[in-house]
Amino acid sequence: MLFAKIWHWVRGDKRPPTSALALRQARRLRDEGRYQRAAGVVDKALLRDPRNVAGHLLAASLHMALRETRSARASFERVLALEPTHPRALLGLARIELEDGETAACCALLSRALARYPDLPEARAVLEVARGLLAPAHAKRYATPNVAVEADRLGLPAESREALFARADATKIVAVPHEPGADAVAAQAVKLSKVAAAMLGRAGLGPLRHAVIESAAETTYLRLDDTALLTLSFDRDMKSATALRHLERVWHRFRSEFA
Amino acid sequence: MSTAAIVTRPAHGRDLQVVLAELLKLDHIIGGFVVAPDGLLIAADLPREVEAEPLSALAAALGRELELRGPRLRRRQFPTAQFASVSGSAFLGSTPVGYIVLLGDPRADWETVRFGLRGALGTVYRAWAG
Repeated sequence: MLFAKIWHWVRGDKRPPTSALALRQARRLRDEGRYQRAAGVVDKALLRDPRNVAGHLLAASLHMALRETRSARASFERVLALEPTHPRALLGLARIELEDGETAACCALLSRALARYPDLPEARAVLEVARGLLAPAHAKRYATPNVAVEADRLGLPAESREALFARADATKIVAVPHEPGADAVAAQAVKLSKVAAAMLGRAGLGPLRHAVIESAAETTYLRLDDTALLTLSFDRDMKSATALRHLERVWHRFRSEFA
Repeated sequence: MSTAAIVTRPAHGRDLQVVLAELLKLDHIIGGFVVAPDGLLIAADLPREVEAEPLSALAAALGRELELRGPRLRRRQFPTAQFASVSGSAFLGSTPVGYIVLLGDPRADWETVRFGLRGALGTVYRAWAG
């Protein structure tokens, strides 16, 4: 026994760190923004201690920070295999399901979390959004043209690259240019607007009216009410005041044209 | 990464609470927070009546949606976005650490906030990326 203690003392820092030490080191690396190195430290710790829930949770958080959703999902699933009602793992996995368009699975995970921890406001907030995506929208009926509508007839601004007008239930009414993926675009725009509307509501700012979303090449302007949604894309150089005036004009025109 | 590399990183921008405090000085901004992509709140200064956790969970979900697909289903980076109601706006900016969210009253000007937010995003990128 004494010999063993002396041997360990002589080996000194060659011993692998305990899981707790390794995770502390990984958290420090994460706080320094060195996510890859932190993930490496956590992976090694989990090889030695594969049932460490805190380690799998930290791994999931690091994968999310690195935008590695598939790995984050696997880490959350490992936590749930060890602790089936772990709230952070249920919430984390639910958010990934929402991202992946698996809304029913998202709702099931959040309901599971809330059944165990009823006072989990972040789970309740995401569940409200997910249920809103599953529920059929009580959208006003707009006519859906059977043929591609000519852009000239719609009075779209010459500077606009793309336009999409859809019902609140994500049914596409008109898309310019007319592309096969327009239905998916409509669904994505509706999903985005519902998450944003929920966020504004939680911030006490009321219903979403319009949005401006920049990207590297263009800026997308979005206008909506509880019956329909319009998106218009412009070059990034376009002045936002001008683009918003176009958006408002086209919005009113489309609503009267297709009502 | 070597220790030297860490030391040479700009210190300005590493403290997200400081970055947020600077942004809160913009005209008509009434609150804000920084949230990691997994929904974990990093820094916050919000009006008392606003509950931080549900808001940050939704902001992280929104940030991810914008990063993944945007409104036009194209995978790309989004630097900034504004979501407006008649009562005010939420402004979002994307960084390697997560998302910066500012809340503004109806008079908060998109161009002014975007300019300030872009400056802050650049500072955070320089301090944290790599």
